[in-house]
Amino acid sequence: MPVLLLWMLLQSFTQRGFVETQGIVYPQEAVNDDAHVIGEAQLRYEAFYKPWSSFQLAGALDLRSDTHHQTERELRLDWDDRGRQRPMLSMQRLSAQYHHGGLTIEAGKQLVRWGRTDIVNPTDRFAPRDFMTVVDNEFLGIHAVRGTYERGSNTIDVIWSPRLTPSRIPLLNQRWFIPPPGVPAFELERDVPEGSQSGVRWSHVGSVEFAAAFYSGFDNLPSFQVTPGNPVVRETYPELRMFGGDIGVPLPLVSIKAEAAYFQSPDHSSDSYVLYVVQLERQTGEWFFVGGYGGEAITEHGTQSADFNPVRGLTRTILARAGYTIDTNRSVAFETAVRENFDGLWAKAEYSQAFGQHWRLTTGFTLIRGKATDFLGQYNRNSHAVLTVRYSF
Amino acid sequence: MNRMRSFFRVLTLLSLSATALAQDPRAIIKEAQDRAKSTSQRYEGTLKVVDGTNKVTEKRWNFERIGSHGNSKSMLRFSAPAEVKGVALLVVNHPDRSSDQWMWTPAIGRERRIALQDRSQRFFGTDFSFEDLEERDTDQFDYRLLGEEAFEGADCWKIESKPRQGKVSQYTHSHVWVRKDNYVVVQIENFKKGELIRRAKYTNIQRVQNIWTAHNVEMFDADRKSRTILSIEKLQYNLPMKDENFTIQAMRREP
Repeated sequence: MPVLLLWMLLQSFTQRGFVETQGIVYPQEAVNDDAHVIGEAQLRYEAFYKPWSSFQLAGALDLRSDTHHQTERELRLDWDDRGRQRPMLSMQRLSAQYHHGGLTIEAGKQLVRWGRTDIVNPTDRFAPRDFMTVVDNEFLGIHAVRGTYERGSNTIDVIWSPRLTPSRIPLLNQRWFIPPPGVPAFELERDVPEGSQSGVRWSHVGSVEFAAAFYSGFDNLPSFQVTPGNPVVRETYPELRMFGGDIGVPLPLVSIKAEAAYFQSPDHSSDSYVLYVVQLERQTGEWFFVGGYGGEAITEHGTQSADFNPVRGLTRTILARAGYTIDTNRSVAFETAVRENFDGLWAKAEYSQAFGQHWRLTTGFTLIRGKATDFLGQYNRNSHAVLTVRYSF
Repeated sequence: MNRMRSFFRVLTLLSLSATALAQDPRAIIKEAQDRAKSTSQRYEGTLKVVDGTNKVTEKRWNFERIGSHGNSKSMLRFSAPAEVKGVALLVVNHPDRSSDQWMWTPAIGRERRIALQDRSQRFFGTDFSFEDLEERDTDQFDYRLLGEEAFEGADCWKIESKPRQGKVSQYTHSHVWVRKDNYVVVQIENFKKGELIRRAKYTNIQRVQNIWTAHNVEMFDADRKSRTILSIEKLQYNLPMKDENFTIQAMRREP
């Protein structure tokens, strides 16, 4: 009997994960950071248990460390991932999922992605990110209840999250935080709101695919309030409403994808603005091309002194991505973002090769150039080379 | 005596109808499809990708299909190698037009529609293109009987198929070999303006639940000189399956 039970358990249990080590080399010193080499290590373990065909439990655990104190040194299980530093041990996902007919309900910590375009997604509001290394960021899980109802070619996606998970911003004493010139030393006082956030997205699949989305909650990227003479800068997460949509149109030669959203701050503490992205996509032979433009139009200026917003920072920008598959195991990729006034440039080249069934080596170089006044250009001392070795299981 | 006459009449009629069938390539293809018809299918596939330098890469996928030729939905999900575990392809076949296809990549949490113009691309490093993974419906092609030819010791009909107007295909025409004894397709050569692009060879044919099925499919990419051998295991037909498990949400739902 116990053997039968164990066999039944194993039948409905799947797992996967990876161990990754990464070395990052910065040839130039930064104003606030003289480190040239950073090492990182990460273990991700994901498990799925499906006792019935309509019910599934999913979990993902991250164990990580680094040489630059970006990760906490205290070993404790972090459920929220809301700290300034990366937690050493965190639950990236822990959710229960039930589906019946066209209805799927998932509750717990999970990753939620909205939108259609690449590189910049204005409507992706439930996807805070770890921006510790601004140009190589990753998504954070959120606590939420998500209900999805799919009928024919239409899907309604409703999300409620009891509280905000803010994006993780660069640490003040590290190179991805650029101290404003002439500003004396200051402390950041964090004010993360406790209110809930919710959103709804309707999407349609047909010869043309499109979606409309609404979000009400808080911005997961901070605004900063500076009081003259006060060495404490308040880091706030303004209330935010978003009305947006996206569309994908396959044409004979290329696919066109577009995404746009209007952001409004009900308390006027941050700007109201429109973000939009239009991109063309095409595969030919072993090449994959994406090229587009990200734009922004500010409709009302807010009362914030400054903000940290890489999404807006990548607008008024020409974006491009190309990939080439050399063979089954090897590929190269190129990505670039150039500000329309040429004040900032980010370009990345990457080579990746798999060895056997489990190993992959990726190496690349990121070049950043531009003026200190530009969002991209301000990181002009942060060009870097990366070597990553991953073992997947 | 009368019984003998009736028997010969039936035999003559059968032989005449077989001759008529043999002369109609559409009827041959239709018969081949009808004999392979099932309400659903499931198998585990092992893929050996052998590149031009004979380097071998192994992948595994699980395949499920509901419905039958021209009006079916299939879900294909990689189980190995580890780094692509969970990557899925949903194919919705239509009787009157090209299929719709979406690919799900768990690492980025997004599905991507495979546009018609991108269907000639290799599917995840194999020698199958996205188009090769859709089911061909008889009504979307015109057929011409090219003759009769032995293929690996078995007598076959050799039939040319050309996509009809409205059917978007990377191939201008294909040559299809159908075995005469059991109506199983044993080889398809796909051409673009006279040049061979891909060749699919179907071998290790076994009868499963009364359906003759090839358990090995070898896809040869003439340009890259590489081939992918798909070995089919644990094949089952006519299993109870639900339509709701062949949608974009279902694709995202699974690990």
